[in-house]
Amino acid sequence: MPHKPPTKEELERRKIVGIRDETITDVSCSDFPGHYPGEDHSWDIDAFRRGFSVEFHQNDRFEASFSLIGCDASIANAFRRIMIADIPTLAIENVFINNNTSVIQDEVLAHRLGLIPFQGGHEGLHKFLKWWRKPTDEAQMNNSYYDFNTVSLKLEVQCEHNDKAAAGETDPTKLYHHAHVYARDIEFCPVGRQDRYFSGADAIAPVNPDILIAKLRPGQEISLSMHMHKGVGSDHAKFSPVATASYRLMPVIDITRPILGDDAEKFARCFPRGVIELEKVTKKEAGQKGSGYEGHAGELKAVVADPMRDTVSRECLRHDEFKDKVKLGRRRDHFIYLVESTGQWESDAIFIEAVAHLKKRALDLEKQVKNMVR
Amino acid sequence: MSREQYQVPTGSGSPTIGTGSFSAPTARDYTGDVGGVMYYMCGDCAVRVPLEKGAPIRCQKCGARVLYKERTKRMVQFEAR
Amino acid sequence: MPRAKTRKEEPVEAGSDTVMEEAPTSHQPESRDDMSVDQDENDEAGEAEEDEIEEEEEVQRVRLLPGSTPTAASFEFLNEGHTLGNALRYIIMKNPDVEFCAYAIPHPSEAKMNVRIQTFEGTTAIEALEKGLRDVQDLCDVVSDKFIDAREKFVAGASS
Repeated sequence: MPHKPPTKEELERRKIVGIRDETITDVSCSDFPGHYPGEDHSWDIDAFRRGFSVEFHQNDRFEASFSLIGCDASIANAFRRIMIADIPTLAIENVFINNNTSVIQDEVLAHRLGLIPFQGGHEGLHKFLKWWRKPTDEAQMNNSYYDFNTVSLKLEVQCEHNDKAAAGETDPTKLYHHAHVYARDIEFCPVGRQDRYFSGADAIAPVNPDILIAKLRPGQEISLSMHMHKGVGSDHAKFSPVATASYRLMPVIDITRPILGDDAEKFARCFPRGVIELEKVTKKEAGQKGSGYEGHAGELKAVVADPMRDTVSRECLRHDEFKDKVKLGRRRDHFIYLVESTGQWESDAIFIEAVAHLKKRALDLEKQVKNMVR
Repeated sequence: MSREQYQVPTGSGSPTIGTGSFSAPTARDYTGDVGGVMYYMCGDCAVRVPLEKGAPIRCQKCGARVLYKERTKRMVQFEAR
Repeated sequence: MPRAKTRKEEPVEAGSDTVMEEAPTSHQPESRDDMSVDQDENDEAGEAEEDEIEEEEEVQRVRLLPGSTPTAASFEFLNEGHTLGNALRYIIMKNPDVEFCAYAIPHPSEAKMNVRIQTFEGTTAIEALEKGLRDVQDLCDVVSDKFIDAREKFVAGASS
């Protein structure tokens, strides 16, 4: 029996994960060779290129949203994991405390400082700065800091009474000088060639100058210096270039039978605003036999306007009147990413870097495998 | 987080003098000619209280008996983790 | 090491916790510079450092596990996890000459990832693994190109 190639509808149906009121269906993908007799699903880069597309929804410095359409979850997940754990950033790693008479303990203060995200010139951060490795020999520690692997910062704050404060003032920030220590009080101390890469707008500085580090009272002092190094998120979350990097699958809402009138309004309220819109049934639709619109010309009907905004809450499936009129699902190969940058990288550059990183990893391992055979 | 490379403060000389015995490391000589005065912080009035060896543990100003040790003058290194 | 200078200039108070000279040597670098500066005259030092890092990368991270035959083999990858494991498994499974492919992380506290490949006659597990790694690289090129195109279009659309 000759095999018939799958119809367009069939291919579309295979991509949908079914979502019912209490259960889900068709979770795993089936596009592997040998799964469907007579069909070829072997890896073909040209077929992948034809089927794959990227769509941008938002592209700001701190937030980018885009869709990868036509790739497998294992690939999409690899990019997500790499963005979180394998893209290097610069963060405070060592804190040298000379004096800290504030109420915040040394180790807590050091931890807080480590979590502050910093920005700086991209060329310097990504090309000039290299990894710092802790020397195995403790005595070699002081010879391991170079201008290309260490950035030096300092924080010197003393709290004093403000003589000019109005009588009866109760606000500590007005009553005292430096009652609050903010991230903007951290000072960058360029060394060697760092001047070339990190000057002016490219200077190493906290992304958000208003991060509160500690609160002081008159007589208290914080005096410390810090070393920043490059690191990756798998070592410590402070090195992660993203606040979140996540994806979700594109929701699918399929209205199989018309939902009209008051029901349509109720149906729209089952979804977040903008997902379902109401349209008037046209005379032409009402004239079509078997369409379900007969005799309803001019009434409102529910139409799917923007399924991407849906949260797939399944609220509509709780109402008996909609149960047989709607099918919910998610598109298995449509990933809507949301990448929030902490500010050291541009949010879209993080993804590009993640793709490059995966390629590099595969290339390195290919060499390793060849070396293993040799 | 640890106070890396912490060493017990010792007054003079190295603590490894007199190897072989379990004698305590040469402790700081509090009665030495440096004056033997240690400063503490009064728990009540926060004044700096100088205390000599054997002196009653008491704030000379307010009489409070709770005294705190002063912070080390040394640099302390922490990992920001 | 920072602040060594200023500390030294401070008069040592009588009865203070400790005098500077007793501090561990690691707190008092011999050179009073905060950092060694890799200037042009000692560029060699910097290069030596980088070479060292390159050398460390040379460690063999892939191993053929015992009991393997040409068409059915298990590989052990050091310092790899789900990130590459699952992507590689997917792309090897896309190879029509591969009968079976799976990956596992035998223990979460060991940085090891195992891949099992069984192929039909005509190819070997090692060839399938190499093809998989090449395919991942090709895929990355396509994703990167399409992503940059889409971004350009988006930026152009937003500005016009």
